[in-house]
Amino acid sequence: MVFSSLTFLYFYLPAVMIIYFICPNKFKNLFILISGLFFYAWGEPIYVLIMLLSTLIDYTAGRLIHHFDSDNKKRTLFLVVSVCMNIGLLAIFKYSSFFIQNINSIFGADIYNPNLPLPIGISFYTFQSMSYTIDLYRRNIKVQRNFINFAAYVTLFPQIVAGPIVRYEDVQNELDSRIINVNKVSEGIAYFVKGLSKKVLLANNIGLVWTQVKASDFSEISMATAWIGILAFTFQIYFDFSGYSDMAVGLGKMMGFNFPENFNYPYISKSISEFWRRWHITLGSWFKSYVYFPLGGSKKGLPRTLINLLIVWMLTGLWHGASWNFILWGLYFGILIIIEKLGFGKILEKLPAVLSTLYTFIMVVFGWVLFETESLTDCAMYFKAMLGGTGVYLDSNAKYLLLSNLIIFIICILGSTKIFKKLYEKAVFKFNLLMLYIQPLAELGMMALCTAFLVNATYNPFLYFRF
Amino acid sequence: MKNLPQKISFILFFSFLIVMALITVFKPKLDFSENENRVLEKFPEFSAEKIFNRKFMNGLESYISDHFVGRTEWIRTKTGAELLSGKRESNGVFILKDRLAEKLPEPDMKEVDKSIAAINNFSLDNKNTHIYAMIVPTSTGIYSDELPLNVPQYDQKMFIDEVYDKLSDNIIQLDAYTPLYTNRQQYIYYRNDHHWTTLGAYYAYDSAVKDMGFTPIPLGKYDIEHANNEFKGTLYSKALYDKIPADTVDIYYNTSGPEITSYEVNDGKETTEYSSIYFREYIDKKDKYETFCGPNEPVATIKTNVGNNSKLLIIKDSYAHCYVPFLAQHYSEITMLDLRYINDSYKDIVNMDEYDDVLFLYNVSTFASDTNIKKLDF
Repeated sequence: MVFSSLTFLYFYLPAVMIIYFICPNKFKNLFILISGLFFYAWGEPIYVLIMLLSTLIDYTAGRLIHHFDSDNKKRTLFLVVSVCMNIGLLAIFKYSSFFIQNINSIFGADIYNPNLPLPIGISFYTFQSMSYTIDLYRRNIKVQRNFINFAAYVTLFPQIVAGPIVRYEDVQNELDSRIINVNKVSEGIAYFVKGLSKKVLLANNIGLVWTQVKASDFSEISMATAWIGILAFTFQIYFDFSGYSDMAVGLGKMMGFNFPENFNYPYISKSISEFWRRWHITLGSWFKSYVYFPLGGSKKGLPRTLINLLIVWMLTGLWHGASWNFILWGLYFGILIIIEKLGFGKILEKLPAVLSTLYTFIMVVFGWVLFETESLTDCAMYFKAMLGGTGVYLDSNAKYLLLSNLIIFIICILGSTKIFKKLYEKAVFKFNLLMLYIQPLAELGMMALCTAFLVNATYNPFLYFRF
Repeated sequence: MKNLPQKISFILFFSFLIVMALITVFKPKLDFSENENRVLEKFPEFSAEKIFNRKFMNGLESYISDHFVGRTEWIRTKTGAELLSGKRESNGVFILKDRLAEKLPEPDMKEVDKSIAAINNFSLDNKNTHIYAMIVPTSTGIYSDELPLNVPQYDQKMFIDEVYDKLSDNIIQLDAYTPLYTNRQQYIYYRNDHHWTTLGAYYAYDSAVKDMGFTPIPLGKYDIEHANNEFKGTLYSKALYDKIPADTVDIYYNTSGPEITSYEVNDGKETTEYSSIYFREYIDKKDKYETFCGPNEPVATIKTNVGNNSKLLIIKDSYAHCYVPFLAQHYSEITMLDLRYINDSYKDIVNMDEYDDVLFLYNVSTFASDTNIKKLDF
């Protein structure tokens, strides 16, 4: 199930929330487990068993790591079992087909490729469960003895499909006891509606521009079309992903959890390093804690630091998908960050903010080309078009795409900065009481508008009967 | 009261969701959507198998969406929001000043060339017959100057010229573009539907029939019946934009001219005979254009009391349906073939030796996208 569907919004959400609110506290986690399994099984009626299995193994590994607290060998063994199991699941379901394809084509082998479909959210929940066993091993957290509580953490439906990557550490106290009150619920509603609007009104609509450009022949598009297309994708992925995270954070608040924020206005960053501290924050910090620091981080001399950075960024790229362009995309950022570490970062700091922001934004936009094109040839062709290599700079298609989406583009640009947030804060400061009453109505209005766009998504008139 | 705004927000949000859901569940359900011209999703069957292959879940999601309370009003809201945001199109339909027009995809010339080659081959196989081709522009082409600024839409005049250029010399090309363009101030296209009006068809007939060797019957000879003036057709259904006035369906009668004696329709299985080519029952239905010759069917034959014993074969799309009544005043028999619904060779359906003339009649949109014309090679 996805949040931006009528089934979720009008049926699952009110039903689950109301039962959750009425449910006695001691059964709330059990209900989280049941509702989470239902939510997940709706999209993955078979793979839900894999998630359950992984939960059971990590819970047991956790208990054993705790039990053999003084036996270092055994503790390590159980950590290795848990990590291998999670990485193994990812390797089988996410990466096996990619590796087999490459081995077959490089060595001319003929290994059978089962082409397993990717279980929804597997990249998120495996990373989350690993945070539990690793942190437990490091003695940063307390063991969870109650299986229901641990399973509730893994299957908590708001974050199961697309993050944020909530670490066990982030919610360990709330799992045992949390405060649910009308203030938090209404705060959660505000987050949720904001996220839904970002996804349905901005991302989906600006995404149509990219869909159209992506479908055209890259060797023929004009320079302006290429830029408009990839800028549209730049905004689509941001509002889609951050919208989804906002919805998750909002749903979490309604249920009494405080999830970490996942995005913090990434497109106004003044360097690539800063961008990655503001974009998909929970993933970046996961890799930092569990890969970069254990490798030695920046404490083992420059050459080792550079190698560590490249490893982390290659893995970050690979996490986004099993294909070469994601690996390259990760390495691209790794290299940009290394350049900044080697001194360019100091120069960026001294530049006027406009220039450093522009530099960062353009490099990120180029990155999205790598991310979104299906082959390296396509990618090269697209870069060529962006640099004017097709010889056509501006055509009527570009003008039409821009003019007919001008307002959405402007909203997206402003929405990527803090302007709306500041205006809202000013309004709250000036008309405190009025704003408090306007807000619920505004939220309702946005819900209605999103509904209009969601209903329309399946509106498909048949021009000719039988044809 | 403490936390009143928060309470309002909480109650408003959840009661809105619950009320909508309850109405959706308990309201009476329609089986068929007139607007969308399709059967709506039924409640999915519940079985273990359908759960494991997700058919139940997908079915339920489609069911909820199809029967969601106020579906039509929601879509209207969306069209309105899009117009506010500066867009001039919705669901593939342009919203112009006083009409809706279909947005056409760029034609795939490779496919179009295959259609042309099939027609050229056809003309070689049937050398003893006069072969005519008439590609009719759609309203998008005739009113291209009213389209949104810079919109990438191909020039229909150029498309027709290119097609005509590639047709063999023994195919006689009939120009529908010029008479329609000249009369563009008149009511020649429906404002809410993708077809031409009877008047539009008349202007094309008036000009083209001369090239087929006949004298057109003057417009003044016709009695015009305004059969219905509440027609909101396919383009309306797509955009659900209400501000364009509804259309009028006109039927032209030449009471002093020859009469149609029978109309036989073969739906691929059986043949039904009617006494008229006008299907009055469609006047009160959603797709009022089907008043003309009914829905598209594989084969239909019109017999008249014209005494010249001449026979015409029309290979066509639905644009022929309001055009053929004019031609029926010059031929004793006309057969219409719709290649989209025929999977055998046309030779198994009609005996080509019987026909004096063949007319290919397509609108630009169909001709540019239809991949069935090459079935002529079967």
